[in-house]
Amino acid sequence: MSIVKELNISPVGRVEGDLDVKVFMENGVVTRAHTQAAMFRGFEKIMEGKDPQSGLIVTPRICGICGGSHLYCASSALDTVWQTTLPPNALLLRAIGQATETIQSIPRWFYAIFATDMANKKFANKKLYDEVTRRFAAYVGTSFQKGVTASGRPVEVYALFGGQWPHSSYMVPGGVMCAPTLKDITRASSIMNQFRNDWLETTWLGCSIERYMQIKSWDDMMAWVHENESQHNSDLGLMIRAGIEFGLDKFGQGVGKFLATGTYLHKDRYNKPTIDGRNEALISSSGFYDGNKYHEFNHMDVMEHVKHTWFEDVPAAHPWKQPLPTPVPSQNLEQTNVNEKYSWSKAPRYLGHAAEAGPLARVIMNANPKNLAHQIQDPLFGDIMQKMGPSVFTRVMARMHEAPRLYEYINQWLGQIDLDGEFYVKPEERDGLGFGATEAARGALAHWIEIKDGVIKNYQVIAPTTWNVGPNDDEHKSGPIEAALEGTEIEDQNDPVEVGMVARSFDSCLVCTVHAHDGKSGKELKRFKL
Amino acid sequence: MANVLWLQGGACSGNTMSFLNAQEPTVVELITDFGVNILWHPSIGLEIGHQVTHLLEDIIAGKVQMDIFVYEGSIIEGPKGTGTMNYFCDRPMKDWVRELAAVAGYTVAIGDCATWGGIPAVPPNPSESTGMQFLKKDKGGFLGANYVSKGGLPVINIPGCPAHPDWITQILVAISTGRIKDVLIDDYHRPKTFFTDFVQTGCPNAISFAQKVDGGFGKRGGCLFYEVGCRGPMTRASCNRILWNRQSSKTRANHPCLGCTEPGFPHNDLVKGSVFKTMKYLGFLPKEVPTGHAKLMYYARAGVEKVMGKLEMVAGIEKEHFETSK
Repeated sequence: MSIVKELNISPVGRVEGDLDVKVFMENGVVTRAHTQAAMFRGFEKIMEGKDPQSGLIVTPRICGICGGSHLYCASSALDTVWQTTLPPNALLLRAIGQATETIQSIPRWFYAIFATDMANKKFANKKLYDEVTRRFAAYVGTSFQKGVTASGRPVEVYALFGGQWPHSSYMVPGGVMCAPTLKDITRASSIMNQFRNDWLETTWLGCSIERYMQIKSWDDMMAWVHENESQHNSDLGLMIRAGIEFGLDKFGQGVGKFLATGTYLHKDRYNKPTIDGRNEALISSSGFYDGNKYHEFNHMDVMEHVKHTWFEDVPAAHPWKQPLPTPVPSQNLEQTNVNEKYSWSKAPRYLGHAAEAGPLARVIMNANPKNLAHQIQDPLFGDIMQKMGPSVFTRVMARMHEAPRLYEYINQWLGQIDLDGEFYVKPEERDGLGFGATEAARGALAHWIEIKDGVIKNYQVIAPTTWNVGPNDDEHKSGPIEAALEGTEIEDQNDPVEVGMVARSFDSCLVCTVHAHDGKSGKELKRFKL
Repeated sequence: MANVLWLQGGACSGNTMSFLNAQEPTVVELITDFGVNILWHPSIGLEIGHQVTHLLEDIIAGKVQMDIFVYEGSIIEGPKGTGTMNYFCDRPMKDWVRELAAVAGYTVAIGDCATWGGIPAVPPNPSESTGMQFLKKDKGGFLGANYVSKGGLPVINIPGCPAHPDWITQILVAISTGRIKDVLIDDYHRPKTFFTDFVQTGCPNAISFAQKVDGGFGKRGGCLFYEVGCRGPMTRASCNRILWNRQSSKTRANHPCLGCTEPGFPHNDLVKGSVFKTMKYLGFLPKEVPTGHAKLMYYARAGVEKVMGKLEMVAGIEKEHFETSK
């Protein structure tokens, strides 16, 4: 495998298994792209016939990056089967766990994964290149270490309530294991306060969270950038100015359809968990946006395709109806025929469409005018989507936009915990079908479970990376990253940083190798580790 | 000074995520101040910039010295022993591992998947996963019972799901600063410095354990061993001595210890009734008793304690040790 040095500069966090991408190029433009997940463990198979609560231990270990999010889903899915009662404290502490995991991922992703690409020599002729390099270059950049170090703080709060991060199982059907005390709450607040002082307001925003939260449109955002020196020169100010100068808003559009399963179940609106009552109980709303219109999210509209997956062929089906997968022989990328089976990932589709999952999908749902009073109502990305559409830049802005709001929510939720209240109500175990979902940092995550005779009969997981890096479906339609790569102009075929930036803007939790091929001859040109 | 190569097989990356949370020293300090040179790592492979296949080939050919070979994740041997369920650099990962282990100064397995198979190896073990030198409690694993690295040690196992970042960094530092002779390993190849004490050592509920006072979810105080399956008394690890994320530990957050530093995690292979429940004989006697106790003697002593405790409660004798407060 030949690997170009420049593209190896920022591999932090692209760490979940191995993903290969086969890219075909013609005249410097990507004409076709195929994604290959190269590792199989069979977690769903492992859970068959096991204790119904196995998902609480097993699923966080599917992904060490999003373990808290898997736990949020696993406990929620059991809540719906066992018809538990959830005290407000339990919903608050689960939301705090989810939010702290997500907010730690924001600076870790930005500095360690994304921004180092902006220091690539492709942009050396740009006016802001020197400043970008001074701050964002891997390891030596002045903001790099500050951001990466700050990212460890929010999960200290997770550890106060869950014992450790990653890989706690503190969310259980009926509530949470912990019963925190005053000192835990105080300590958590002060850790978050340090996170704000060390990075969020000082390095990232250059203003107070309150000031930033007043931004409601793209024009507001640009006015904010130029309002004063401090905002202009903050890392966000620089990111916006350089992002536009570097043209990051011009590529990586994708399928233009977005899916969010939503998260943060409101403390007073999901005390009797049901699948049907979930949408209205969410603080960050769910939905499907087809490029023009919002549609209510219904998990029954999700199907998974395996025509191009190394599993025995079965018709596309809803997760409750899918048989557990039977693996078939796989090939390495050289010997893979992309017209046949070529990935360990399945291809999920919503109402038959490939859909992008992730922070951009979430903030688009936040702009839905139909959101309820207790839900996030934030028109900003409705406006940005109209003015700019999806792109690498829009995705980065969406990811970063969540940090100030999550900070406010975490503080608010900490303040709402009632130390005299209940944290857990022991449920009665029963058989049935269940569904639980959340938004992992990198997008929609959902678990489906069937319990029969007191053991797991079927357990199915669709992760954000499955949505985004899944292969073609039964009708040979591309997955979101495959689609986002198509049409990307590669300025220097020896250093296609654009391909890396597209893949990284999705934050797929996979080590991603891009193999570039000549579109006509099919000859391999280069391979790059991203 | 030590050259480190870190690879991931059947992994969730949890050990890498844990490693990135390291504080004393941090990952950056490890590299800048403690003489650890990372040849390649899937997430912090900055130093190398070489193409990975050639680097691996150069290491195997002896052109590049690899002092420490760190492996995270299970060794995937499926299907049918081919290892093709996990390709890496165009070959089954297991083939790289065998050749790299043969030239490693020291081989370190990080996390339960690498040490003894972990969750991927739970029956039916769909990916035919095994650990580097153990499969659950059985010595052998992928490299075989007789494997020793060039430095003369078998695979050094740093278990945990995930391993604590300090367990990882401190072993790397010990090797790179020439203190490997101070690293004593136990029967399961774990460094004794971290895995001699039990999780119970330093657990705030240790008194409740001694006096047989039950705890439970959503409650303050009480011991989690009797009802919700805590394995703190049977699990060797320093979780309550070197805290997690500098703040806490599972048992401090009222979370039963899962026993993840002992071979065989997840214990009892997740069979019905084994998850967050204490498995019992006759409905009341714990099937597994604290390490070092004969079962019958333990039952007898525990029974007396329990009855005495109840009698004292009935008699209104106050026990200030068990008071809890918000």
